[in-house]
Amino acid sequence: MPATGGRDTEGALINVTADSHALTPTEHSPMAGLAHDVRGGISNPILGMILFITSEVMFFAGLFAAYFSTRANFVDVNGVKEWPPQEFASILNPFSLILVATVILIVSSVTLQMAIWAIRRDDRRGFLRNMAVTFILGITFLLLQAYDYSLLFHEGLTMGSGPFGTTYFTLTGFHGAHVFGGVIMLGVVLYRGMSGQFSSRHHDAVEAASLYWHFVDVVWIILFSILYFL
Amino acid sequence: MATHALTPAASTYSRGRLYEWLTTTDHKKIGIMYVINSFVFFLIGGILALVVRTELAQPGLQFLADEHVYNEMFTMHATIMIFVFVIPMLAGLGNYIVPLMIGAPDMAFPRINALSLWMLPLAGILLISSFFTGGTAAAGWTSYPPLSLDGPLKSPGSGQDLWIVSLILIGTSSILGSINFLVTIFKMRAPGMTLFRMPIMVWTVLVTSVLVLMATPVITSALVMLFIDRNYGGHFFDPFGGGSAILYQNIFWFYSHPAVYVMILPAMGVISEVLPVFSRKPLFGYKAFIFATAGIGALGFSVWAHHMFTTGSVFLPFFSLLTFLIAVPTGVKMFNWVFTLFRGQLTFSTPLVFAIGFLTMFLIGGINGAFSASVPVDFALHDTYWVVAHIHYVLFGGSVFGIFAGLYYWFPKMFGRMLDEGLGKLHFVLMFIGFNLTFFPMHQLGLEGMPRRIADYAADAGWNDLNLLATVGGFTIAVSILPFIWNVFISLRNGKIAGDDPWEGNTLEWATSSPPPPYNFDHLPEIRSERPVFDARHGRTGH
Amino acid sequence: MSTSPRKRPAPDALVAGLVVAILVALVGAVFLSGWGASLYPPQAATSEARNVRGLYDIVFAFGLAIFVVVEALIIWSVLRYRRKSSDTSLPVQTHGNNTVEIIWTVIPTAIVLFLFVISWQSLNRVNAVSASPDIRIHAIAGQFQWQFEYLDASGSKVATQLVPVYDVDTGEGGMAVPAGKSVQVTLDSPDVIHAFYVPRFLFKRDVVPGQTNRFEFTVDATEAGQVFRGQCAELCGAGHRRMLFSVIALTPADYDTWLKALIVKANATPAPAPSGTVLTLSVLNIQYDTAALEVPADAPFAISFANKDPSGVTHDVDIRDSSGTVVANQEVVNGGSSANYVYDPLPAGTYTFFCSIHANMTGTLTVK
Repeated sequence: MPATGGRDTEGALINVTADSHALTPTEHSPMAGLAHDVRGGISNPILGMILFITSEVMFFAGLFAAYFSTRANFVDVNGVKEWPPQEFASILNPFSLILVATVILIVSSVTLQMAIWAIRRDDRRGFLRNMAVTFILGITFLLLQAYDYSLLFHEGLTMGSGPFGTTYFTLTGFHGAHVFGGVIMLGVVLYRGMSGQFSSRHHDAVEAASLYWHFVDVVWIILFSILYFL
Repeated sequence: MATHALTPAASTYSRGRLYEWLTTTDHKKIGIMYVINSFVFFLIGGILALVVRTELAQPGLQFLADEHVYNEMFTMHATIMIFVFVIPMLAGLGNYIVPLMIGAPDMAFPRINALSLWMLPLAGILLISSFFTGGTAAAGWTSYPPLSLDGPLKSPGSGQDLWIVSLILIGTSSILGSINFLVTIFKMRAPGMTLFRMPIMVWTVLVTSVLVLMATPVITSALVMLFIDRNYGGHFFDPFGGGSAILYQNIFWFYSHPAVYVMILPAMGVISEVLPVFSRKPLFGYKAFIFATAGIGALGFSVWAHHMFTTGSVFLPFFSLLTFLIAVPTGVKMFNWVFTLFRGQLTFSTPLVFAIGFLTMFLIGGINGAFSASVPVDFALHDTYWVVAHIHYVLFGGSVFGIFAGLYYWFPKMFGRMLDEGLGKLHFVLMFIGFNLTFFPMHQLGLEGMPRRIADYAADAGWNDLNLLATVGGFTIAVSILPFIWNVFISLRNGKIAGDDPWEGNTLEWATSSPPPPYNFDHLPEIRSERPVFDARHGRTGH
Repeated sequence: MSTSPRKRPAPDALVAGLVVAILVALVGAVFLSGWGASLYPPQAATSEARNVRGLYDIVFAFGLAIFVVVEALIIWSVLRYRRKSSDTSLPVQTHGNNTVEIIWTVIPTAIVLFLFVISWQSLNRVNAVSASPDIRIHAIAGQFQWQFEYLDASGSKVATQLVPVYDVDTGEGGMAVPAGKSVQVTLDSPDVIHAFYVPRFLFKRDVVPGQTNRFEFTVDATEAGQVFRGQCAELCGAGHRRMLFSVIALTPADYDTWLKALIVKANATPAPAPSGTVLTLSVLNIQYDTAALEVPADAPFAISFANKDPSGVTHDVDIRDSSGTVVANQEVVNGGSSANYVYDPLPAGTYTFFCSIHANMTGTLTVK
């Protein structure tokens, strides 16, 4: 897959006269580095995104480690070893608004994938339609999460509500922040898509953003399972 | 080798050199700015070290107002040296040299590269600003909670928060940098530059980048949790609110032990470039060296708890065994280096002199580290000046000597002029003597029971002479930096013109002009081994 | 040139060999003459420490041997293989040798495995805690003072030593233990992490809040009468360097006398309710509840002092005059308890009352 679309022709290709067979010409242009991509393999931006996601996995691994450690050590004031703590046990009901939010996030991954498939076959209208739906679903998830937070605050669960509140809001809050970052990414992709910047040959940014969004989705599924069911 | 710089046609108007440097995405300029920024913080961190040594020169509190100020001084000394000097300095050298060494025109993501750079002075200034906003962090560079939490006698005030924010910024910079290095190394190598023809420096940067990528986000999570505990009433690390003080140490060291390798592996890479060039032989055991580097990287993730042997809450035999095992690949490297010198033809230019300084000092740092792998011995040595001696033999005797070897080695490439040899050797001699005067006595202080991080000690404890000696050594190190600065200053204007390849180098950076043109090469020599420039100079007959 | 076998050693080789030999001899001489003793830990005072010391000696011997071998190789290479003007052709381009790589992988592996095994054996000995030690002490490290609770066999407290450092002049203070008997120490902290460290025990253990650590030691019977310096080894805040303590080794008989005296002192009837001026003062969160006190000049007065901080955090109310001379020195009070401090008459003037443990706790005492 060519990495740079039409741009790699912009740089001047200076073909150094190979005065000796020992010399290998390289392009001397701003985009010269990308010329190596013709050897195949994944493109630089996508490899970069995969590596970035690796680091994000490690970040969440740190938070999850803290969660499980805190949970394992937890004893409430009455010496009861129960998680979630008794006073909050009824608050976290998985079959409520949060399930709706979860479904929305999963659906958004599907629509995003449909957008990818559309752009791969150069269907720009289908791409934009699915991107727009994904973008709106992402925002909806954030709004639902904010509303859910307000309900929890109302019920008395806050960051300061013992280790349970701290871990709950840290994990979901950082996930929410990542969703927010993902929504901005989707917005940029949507905007660039509307100005016609993507084609079947050139849509690395779309692929990279979709990898990130799927990652955020997977984190939520793990998070939801652990916080609400485990 | 004839090369000619191609000027980019685009620059029809000039906005001045300063603007050009501030907005550049050229990895070479970014690398040089990394180095300059790191060096400035090296000087600041060094001054803080002198404050610490001045206070400890004699028993009693003479120099500083109280113990709290002392705690601020060593906390900031270590934080600056580790996070704003050694790590970025090596990242900067890598930034400059890795694309050149693999025959690439630039890093894979030049603008992200510039972003990584500019986060560093910002983070450094945030860190320093806490001196003027009511006091800096004072809980040590490790900032163990509960001491680093908010509260009376703990760490109230904004200094600790600024410390956290600054470290998160530096961590983000490192992560972006490591992604950039990895993509560059995997995707941008010149034709013929297979993985097993890459210079060792590139290999060490590769392994380092993997460590940064996997470990740095984990400390970011610890710092975030610490921030939440301090500012939003969280309970992660507060043992009296359902948290665990030891949890922080586990997460912190999961990063900070690999960070030790982040700080030494690229320096090892520098040494592995310098030794072959100045002994006119290839590196002994090229592949063994790569496997040893990878081995150190892999083991680095499973030894973090050896910093926590005395906490009473880690599984001691496991971490002891793996810590001992790290000595094996490290030993392999040491022998490979020595056998590179063996039967060579050694030219004692300043880079080689610093590299040999590295070998002798890092050897001590490796051996005295093995003592702490033995858990019962560590019970005696942990948190004493022995540990202070150990980390300085590794990070100063190792990393800093390696950094200076690299700076002397690549300065001609960076600026087209040679550094003065006489001043360079004066720098080495003073620094070598000062270093050993400062840190060797600390072994004895630690054995005799002087704990680290104390502002004062009893006059009758028998530690007076050794502390005074260490202080004299500390000032000797400070003096040794002066010839270096003077050397750079005069050589930039009047140094001997270097030419493309002043050292008879082996690797691709010596195949282009000094300084290299934008986008580095107009043509490359054939790459058929890990020493393409050597091959071009001598043919393949040398093999 | 260098490819041809040498018949005679080159002059460089002689010089290099000589220098290396001298340096090796020098290192040997240092250790044979006893000067090397400074690189050994101090004399072990407990049976556990002697075990650690034996281990240290072995690790040190290996370390020294490796140091000498490698440094000798480096120095030899540096002196022997300088580039000479006659060196026009390249030296032999040796790329490596798998045999030697295997050798210097296998031998160090064998060495570190050996060191690991003996370390593990030693660890099991040093780290062991028994169910029924001879003596039980509960050491509490709060910012910035140690206190030692003496427990009976069932684990209940019989007496508390609030003065952690042994005073040569008065004979007061310090954690006394009977030499030759096993002592089990449990460690707790009410605030931050500290560490119990006695250099001559070759041992330290962190005092972690929220987690009770435990270790055991037996002071050698021959050490009876010795006082060992101890110190907090984990940064715990501004008073870190002042968290000192002493361990006093006594013969078992002396120890019994010492403990009885401590119990008597603890059970002594509190000072009678003082006559004259009685002020009240309390402390919470490392802060006095008032910054200014006033008493009449040249008359005795008293302070009814309540320490409302958690147990383990100790405070007192000492007085210094304007020149900084301490004119009244009271004993500390543990968190959760109170005391009646009685002070001798003071001439009129302005004084400072302060806590000897926490430098931030001060107030003004006006005497008029």
